[in-house]
Amino acid sequence: MITIVSGLPRSGTSLMMQMLAAGGVPILSDGERVPDADNPRGYCEWERIKKLPQDPVCIAEAEGKAVKVISQLLFALPADREYRIVFMERPLEEVVASQAEMIRRRGTSGAAVPQAALIAGLRAHLNQVNAGLVQRRELLVHRQEYHQVLRDPLGSSENIQSFLGLSLNTQAMARQVDPSLYRNRTQPA
Amino acid sequence: MSEPLARKVLLIGWDAADWKVINPLLDQGLMPTLDDFVNHGVIGNLATLRPVLSPMLWNSIATGKRPDKHGILGFMEPDPQTGGVRPVTSTSRKVKAIWNILTQRGYKTHVLGWFAGHPAEPINGISVSDLFPYAVGPLDKPWPLPPGAVHPENMRDQFAALRMHPAEVGEAAILPWVPRAAEIDQEKDKGLQSFAKILSENCSIHNAATWILQNEPWDFLAVYYNGIDHFCHGFMNYHPPRMEGIPEQRFEIYKDVVNGAYRFHDMMLQTLLDLAGPDTTVIIVSDHGFHSDHLRPRGIPLEPAGPAVQHRQFGIVCMKGDHIKQDERIYGATLLDVTPTILTLFGLPVGEDMDGRVLVQAFEQPPKVARIPSWESEAGECGMHPADLRMDPAAAQAVLQQFVALGYIQPLSEDQEKAVATAVREQQYNLARAYLDSRRYSEALTIFEELTTKWADEARFMQHLAQCYLALGRRAEAKDLLQRLLVLKPKARAAQKPAQAEGEAQAPTELEAAALTETVVSPEAASEENSKPRPWADLLMGIIHFEEGDMDAALASLLKAESADPHLPDLHLRIGETYLRQKRTDDADRAFQHALEIDGDSPEAHLGLAVVRLRQRRNEEAAEQALLAVGLQHFLPLGHFYLGVALARLGHRERSALAFETALSMLPGLMAAHRWLAALYTHPTGDLEKATRHREMFLRMRRQRQTKAPA
Repeated sequence: MITIVSGLPRSGTSLMMQMLAAGGVPILSDGERVPDADNPRGYCEWERIKKLPQDPVCIAEAEGKAVKVISQLLFALPADREYRIVFMERPLEEVVASQAEMIRRRGTSGAAVPQAALIAGLRAHLNQVNAGLVQRRELLVHRQEYHQVLRDPLGSSENIQSFLGLSLNTQAMARQVDPSLYRNRTQPA
Repeated sequence: MSEPLARKVLLIGWDAADWKVINPLLDQGLMPTLDDFVNHGVIGNLATLRPVLSPMLWNSIATGKRPDKHGILGFMEPDPQTGGVRPVTSTSRKVKAIWNILTQRGYKTHVLGWFAGHPAEPINGISVSDLFPYAVGPLDKPWPLPPGAVHPENMRDQFAALRMHPAEVGEAAILPWVPRAAEIDQEKDKGLQSFAKILSENCSIHNAATWILQNEPWDFLAVYYNGIDHFCHGFMNYHPPRMEGIPEQRFEIYKDVVNGAYRFHDMMLQTLLDLAGPDTTVIIVSDHGFHSDHLRPRGIPLEPAGPAVQHRQFGIVCMKGDHIKQDERIYGATLLDVTPTILTLFGLPVGEDMDGRVLVQAFEQPPKVARIPSWESEAGECGMHPADLRMDPAAAQAVLQQFVALGYIQPLSEDQEKAVATAVREQQYNLARAYLDSRRYSEALTIFEELTTKWADEARFMQHLAQCYLALGRRAEAKDLLQRLLVLKPKARAAQKPAQAEGEAQAPTELEAAALTETVVSPEAASEENSKPRPWADLLMGIIHFEEGDMDAALASLLKAESADPHLPDLHLRIGETYLRQKRTDDADRAFQHALEIDGDSPEAHLGLAVVRLRQRRNEEAAEQALLAVGLQHFLPLGHFYLGVALARLGHRERSALAFETALSMLPGLMAAHRWLAALYTHPTGDLEKATRHREMFLRMRRQRQTKAPA
């Protein structure tokens, strides 16, 4: 079985990877993307996964481990393996704000569309991802709200342990949650 | 809701089926099932739409709407999942198909293999997508169905097992079609591989359809076979008579494949009819025909969807069942009429926003046709994918660009970007051509102008823009554009791929062709291209001269076009019209006869001949030609007018008056018809009141015309 942490970029996927690592799940990461202001504790990423669409068999290296696969790349997962996916969800306004900040720091150019259009595009993207996931028998999905992790780190860790069917150190997982790193928060209604 | 006229309806799609191939087979007794079918039902031509591209057409068949409404605009679309392109999908269709409407009304409805059918829609029945039959690997390797190929999902394994792999096509299947298969060097000639692929895909769809008919309750089933189209694209150039340039040995090897394809479909039809039972109303349609005679093109344009040049503008329609006439021919059907007719069979109203009409002429008694403004606004579960699953290409590109900027996915390759740009461009081009086809010239103009600005060296965009200007009466701009086109450097001139190259038994299928990107023309080919005449431009220039009243210049341009491409659509009609203006009746006669040799079902050619015969005082023949013209296209005011003239000369006053009245109902400003009616009704047995009214109308129109005329 392969554990996958997924979601939109900036939806809390790095935090979840850190939690799983602390809980005792082996992590597939090459450390190539180093910690920075956007992710002071690191990204826990595996660079080769970006080539998943061209090289789907590379996922074999994640067998028995956890790997971060952003939502866009889930379409490319080959069907011949079993996956458990922890799918991070965060309000899109926060995601877009956080992405904008990250793009600014990286000095790259993001989508040249207004914020509302980008949010609509991401929403449509998530709908397509979800529709695709429903049709895949070989994978199970646990949807994890980012806010819920912040509110209840231990409860969330226990839910993930239950979903993965593994014996994990949930206390250590919960200790990874540092609310001070929760930025780009939308104003409460 | 009206009274249903059918208990069950089976809609069978035979892509590219054409009476020109079918009729000789029927005459030889080689399609016995269809022969019996046509003897107990109605048959006719089914006029297609332009552009003649199957995904657009089959979705017009299924919706009763033109492509600008249904949203399927070509073969390929951007794929937001990969950043590349993919075959058009069901999530791109913007309106309800007939199976959605029937689902909404609670009918048990199944659909198989329809173009743009993936992912399978969640209808009230089984939906098998168009990606279902494609083999993606060797037989001894796993052959999983793509996700979304079957609805409901729990029937996926059941249907996966019904597929046939190309490797399962053995000698027993090949030899009846290709008896000399053993002579083929399969290292060089991939014809048999292509053959096996097409055959197996169609067997897979047929297996799925027959399984449903045997095992599932049903009210409506639509099944689409691509076999005839694909076999024709691959093997039509070997169909008898042997084309110039086709080696005799290869001709002998493959000459029976096309006829074999039709006979195979006839056998499958028999199984479908047996399983459907006698109480089913069955409709067989094709989206277009396929040139099978001297009109077979010598080359395929090297442009996306270039093989569509092999398509003919008339497909087939056959219909059999309770309340349907028997052994009769119907006229004037278009593929837009299929869905309104099916709705009427089920006693359901036709949407007023549908572009087609009910084929009332096929029914024993004219059916009562109920109407509603639109099915789109009717509430209820219809089995379409949720609207938010549809993603417009620009939004998809924006999301991908965002992910790239964040460093989470790799930048798109140059190939992907080019493929996406081509897909978007072709969709725009096809949309503009669809507007042109429905005479929405202003909408078409905006797109053609944009395309011509962006791709200034694409001759095909300029040609269509000139056509658009012409239709809008902007002759000066059309002329200017054509003059530029005539001196355009060759780079973008559509190169031609030989229709059949040695060692190659297969032209690209439409889908493969759609994926082709612009091919760079070699310097030698470019030089050759540069020296070629530009028949399209000359034809349009001829039309401009004609409209300007310069008949000599018009004829010079048109004859120049003829010398370059004598098969250009409408060319001989234009030549005939020009001769008529020059009072060269015999030359006009030859030109219209020539037009009929190219397209025996051209109402305009019959109309032209009617005028010729009137001038020759051969009034009975004139009436016959006019009748043929209006039979092929009822809405043809001049056809009814000239029928009236011929009948009047033959002394049939009442029938003549009826023809003139019909012409006026279609074209109230037809001054000459008022004059004729005034004369006819003045007769002692006529109607003096009507005579007076028509005379007044004629005189008023004449005064108006004289007032408007320049001093």
